[in-house]
Amino acid sequence: MKKPSEAVLLLLLLFFAPHAKGTRFSPPGKPALTRCRSPEKETFTCWWEPGPDGGLTTTYALYYRKENSEAVYECPDYHTAGENSCFFNKNDTSIWVNYNITVVATNTLGSTFSDPVDIDVVYIVKPNPPEKLTVTVMEDKGWPFLRVSWEPPHKADTRSGWITLIYELRVKLEGEDDWEMHLAGQQKTFNIFSLRSGGTYHVQVRCKPDHGFWSEWSSTSYIKVPDYFHREKSAWILIMVFTAFIFLILTWLLHMNSHSLKHCILPPVPGPKIRGFDEKLLKNGKSEDIFSALVVSGFPPTMSSNCEDLLVEYLEVYVPDEHELMLEEGKDLHDHCLKSEGSTSDNDSGRGSCDSHTLLMDKCGEAKEQGRQTEQEERPVETQRHQKEWNEDTLPYAHEDTVSPDMSSGRVKTWPSVFCPLPQYSSSPPNHTSSLEIAKQHCLSDSLFPPGSTSSYLTHPGHSTKETLGPSRWEFSLSNKQPRSLHPQMQTRQQLQARSDINLSNVGCEQAPVGLLPPTARPTEYVEVQRVNEEDMVLLKPVASGRGCGDGCPRLRQAEDYSKVKGVNSDHTLLLQREVMGEEAERCPCQDQETNGETDSCITSSTVTTTQKPPACNYTAAAVQDKMAPTVSGYVDTASIFTLPTY
Amino acid sequence: MLVYMELSMRAGTAPICPYGQAGCHVPTLADLFDRVIQQSSRMHGISSDLHSQFEQYFLPSKNLIGKRKCHTYGILTPDDKENAQRLGREQLTEVILRLLGAWGDPLSQFYQSMSRDQNQDFNHYSSNKAMEISDMVHELRDGVAKMAEKMKLSGVLDNTVSYVSPESFVPFSTVSYYKRGELNPMDHHDLLHCFRRDSNKVKNYLRILKCTTLPGLDC
Repeated sequence: MKKPSEAVLLLLLLFFAPHAKGTRFSPPGKPALTRCRSPEKETFTCWWEPGPDGGLTTTYALYYRKENSEAVYECPDYHTAGENSCFFNKNDTSIWVNYNITVVATNTLGSTFSDPVDIDVVYIVKPNPPEKLTVTVMEDKGWPFLRVSWEPPHKADTRSGWITLIYELRVKLEGEDDWEMHLAGQQKTFNIFSLRSGGTYHVQVRCKPDHGFWSEWSSTSYIKVPDYFHREKSAWILIMVFTAFIFLILTWLLHMNSHSLKHCILPPVPGPKIRGFDEKLLKNGKSEDIFSALVVSGFPPTMSSNCEDLLVEYLEVYVPDEHELMLEEGKDLHDHCLKSEGSTSDNDSGRGSCDSHTLLMDKCGEAKEQGRQTEQEERPVETQRHQKEWNEDTLPYAHEDTVSPDMSSGRVKTWPSVFCPLPQYSSSPPNHTSSLEIAKQHCLSDSLFPPGSTSSYLTHPGHSTKETLGPSRWEFSLSNKQPRSLHPQMQTRQQLQARSDINLSNVGCEQAPVGLLPPTARPTEYVEVQRVNEEDMVLLKPVASGRGCGDGCPRLRQAEDYSKVKGVNSDHTLLLQREVMGEEAERCPCQDQETNGETDSCITSSTVTTTQKPPACNYTAAAVQDKMAPTVSGYVDTASIFTLPTY
Repeated sequence: MLVYMELSMRAGTAPICPYGQAGCHVPTLADLFDRVIQQSSRMHGISSDLHSQFEQYFLPSKNLIGKRKCHTYGILTPDDKENAQRLGREQLTEVILRLLGAWGDPLSQFYQSMSRDQNQDFNHYSSNKAMEISDMVHELRDGVAKMAEKMKLSGVLDNTVSYVSPESFVPFSTVSYYKRGELNPMDHHDLLHCFRRDSNKVKNYLRILKCTTLPGLDC
């Protein structure tokens, strides 16, 4: 072995080293094995990097040990693979065997061992690049493509299955920097499509074993794709011409129909139009002119207007007490009533007339909706009204329709959706005086009736919204007027007041009094305040109070009053009678209420000029007994009965 | 779609069945070879992954490299191309079967040991892989056996090849090597190292077998 001799030499060198010149010599630096590679899994080569030689001539040696063997061997071939390499030929190469390799650097001063490296040849395979790369242009239905083919490196034995290679190729156009990669698997041919006509392509291919390293790229193959531009171009030209032609036609058509198209796509927006609003005035800047122009003479409608038409009043007569009385009296009460009795013990709040069992169910259906509507619409109006002085007499009260505007009788009306503006209290025609509508109650809408808004109306709180409502309502309405018992004369307010007492809440049905249609069986308040005209026509009397009569009793003067008290029945119900001043007396819904038989009492008050339908006769006190009649039940939903007066 | 087309080109759309029951398409030897080679390739890939994972977490002590001995070292395997080609088909097949048979049990143990060991983070992934290769080795053994049978039937193989049952081969019980039921991480690493190598051998031998039996496009 060389090793012992080398060792001796080293020792000698070391011995003599001190005698050497003063130059700094040192043992060699540590070499390092950089890599080992096998091109075909049959041979392999290892390369190392020498360390600093320490100033002296250094020699390198490579030693290896095989797995499970203690024998150390030296590299058989230092030259085949170049400098600082060791080549292991087929005989020395074993696959699936671990090699432990070390490199030693030796100079006169010493030797240095490198770090050992373990390798298994099967994992260090890096084949040579594929060979015989050929690229040809072929045609597929008129479109060209590249066919690339190659051969495996000649050293790699893929034929026997000893080594299995997979290939990859890359393509790029001449002048560009980006390569297009294609993995070809184990096949040895490949097609490339989507070529640019007239371009020159560079093609390269490389390979790799299943578990190993990629080879280097093969030498580039160049190929020029012939021009097929003309074929493309002609097609494009045709398309362009065609498109241009179509475009021209479309433009012409558009031009022809531009106007109508404009209308179609961008319809003119109607501008706002306010009657009486003159833009020119606005431009002038004189506000007075503008506003005066806005004031429409006919607005708000006066008595003579068609307000009444707007109003559809219906009285909802609640005669809760009566109902009870009735009950007591006899069992002829409608079961609805009965039920209502029990159920309506509360204030009937939030319940519409339809809820009232005494009311006609069917009527309620529609009435309800209308009622609600009216309620809603009423609201605003009512609020308005509230503002107005209650005292104003002559509240024409929108619902003049039903009641003659001057009807002061507090006719209870349920307002239909449309409202005439609350009668301006101020401007109400004198005849109305007390035509305040005291309360329009609508039974149904009551539920919607905002508490506050009903100031002007006495809505029977009962069934209108909440209990709270009722009382407040009443009060409110009456607040303005001195509360007083129902005195027929003059104070309508009084009447109102009376009503307030009633406290609609419970009155409910009882309200039926004149003008008020007590909803039968509606125990709740349902007080209706009718308009009270000067003559105190309207008298609503709370059911309970029964005093209605007092005030209510007063006959309603006609004049226009809406309802005339026909009388008070035994039940303390005011029977209101509407006098039709010659006007249509619309059929009185009374009949409903009138079950009592006061049919005639139903006379609709003619509301004089009212064109509107007679207010619901509902006023008829019938409420009392009427409860019975489910239909009548004293509650007449004017809405149902009358059509809303159109304004 | 391609598979379908391929199948239909071969033998219509009948499903493939190994035993030739009625109504299904019996795979050809080429089919069997392809399947088996794919399976072995996959198995080797998984074992390589596992081994590299272990290398990350557990650097092998280089000193032990020489002392590492796989339990299959008793099976003589050709360690280069000439030797492998010299071996002949029958012996090569037998070697393959032996190797596969020898690994069935140790891999099961390995898997059990891995799933038991809850300490390490990578165990979940690794235990899945371990289960995979454990199953694969059994399947592959069955597949190669069937293929050998078919080769015998078609006269490619002599009848000297016998199905080697794993029990017949017990050079070293795995107990001595892998401490049945108590493999520690060091043992895991050794085991994986050995299996990676042996699966590579199996893959290579199968390819050689195929290319000598059915030379074609792939060879």
